[in-house]
Amino acid sequence: MPGIDECLLEAMRLPGARGAALVDWTSGLALGTVGEAPGGDHETTAAEAAELARMAAEHGTFAAGGDDLPPVEDVIISNGDSYHLLRFVDTSFDSSVFLHLWLGREEGNLALARIRLGEMAARLVLG
Amino acid sequence: MTVVSTPQPALPVRDKGAGRALSPMLTRLAEERATGVLVREHGVLHLAEGRVVHAESPLAPGLDVLLTAHGTLAAAAWQQAAARTAGPLHAAELLLRSGVLPTGALELCHLDAVYDAGYFALAPSSTPGRFRYDSAPRLGPLPSVPVVALERETLRRRLLLHRLWPDPAADTAPLIRADPATGRTPADPAGPAGPVTPGRRAARVAPATPVTPRQRAVLDRVDGMRTAADIARNLGRQAFHTLVDVRRLTAAGQIAPAPAAPAPPPPPPYQVTTDPDIALLKRLRDALEAL
Repeated sequence: MPGIDECLLEAMRLPGARGAALVDWTSGLALGTVGEAPGGDHETTAAEAAELARMAAEHGTFAAGGDDLPPVEDVIISNGDSYHLLRFVDTSFDSSVFLHLWLGREEGNLALARIRLGEMAARLVLG
Repeated sequence: MTVVSTPQPALPVRDKGAGRALSPMLTRLAEERATGVLVREHGVLHLAEGRVVHAESPLAPGLDVLLTAHGTLAAAAWQQAAARTAGPLHAAELLLRSGVLPTGALELCHLDAVYDAGYFALAPSSTPGRFRYDSAPRLGPLPSVPVVALERETLRRRLLLHRLWPDPAADTAPLIRADPATGRTPADPAGPAGPVTPGRRAARVAPATPVTPRQRAVLDRVDGMRTAADIARNLGRQAFHTLVDVRRLTAAGQIAPAPAAPAPPPPPPYQVTTDPDIALLKRLRDALEAL
């Protein structure tokens, strides 16, 4: 069963992956990081990504309809040269974490990365 | 149309220029790669080779609470593991080896618990910390945290709470519901609890910010008796996460720290009796004579 580091390393094997992190969106703490971060600083990246994740998770507008569904699955940001994919990790215990994958736009495949990151998030906490 | 709500302050990023340590003793222990247990007023840090492998605080729910509160792990499974080992960290390692929990889930919960209890263990204290060199803590299969990372994160968390609402009174006091429109509490119908500054007043009468589902869970448990730590334990949620919601709900005027209990009435003044109890004195005399 994969731990946090194995999960992040697996994410880095996706085509175009530049960096990945497991981040708590309440505190902004990076619980694990691998690869590069935009601006070179994983801590700043984690705090800023956490802001975005929290906004998405807490605003009813973006929430799924059913009570048993996690409010939000993922948040996708695209810019001129990269994608940012934030995948919420649905844990059976109380937590507020997401996987953050930074993907180069040229080599990255957003659709594939989204599916794979979802599978990794599930394996991380479900085994 | 416009919707105005109090903007959420940004999550702080640490000031890299700030080199201050929270505990000079802890810094020294990390430098010498010490192994042992640091006991501070509000919590305990277990160090192995200068890294934090485990933390406990009476103010933060332990790994057992986090894992069992929502059925991730059956309480009986934790108790079995705890009975066979010499502490929560070893119980967690046993669970990891036995494979009853996914590795990622256990690592995540463990790190959450270390940073959560570590935050309180490193809180300012009125008594000096004590370190006991002890060979028991060791770097095991669960992730450990460098001392400097725990200190940095603790400082960042303090700053985050301060930005949400600068008054720490609600962190430790029993909490009561307040009327968000006025900031008035049932116990103090004349006005908001605590000292009022223009900034506070403005924040309290700001248009009601919507309460998130996670905040609602906290709000529902505010009963005039429970503190934030009690609510965290009741929810099986990290204490720091609960503090974030408590400070935000306080800023929104939804809750307030309960006013301190009134001082007990002064004892009645000593009464000079001008009319002694004759019967009592007679009984006393008789008793003395009978000796």
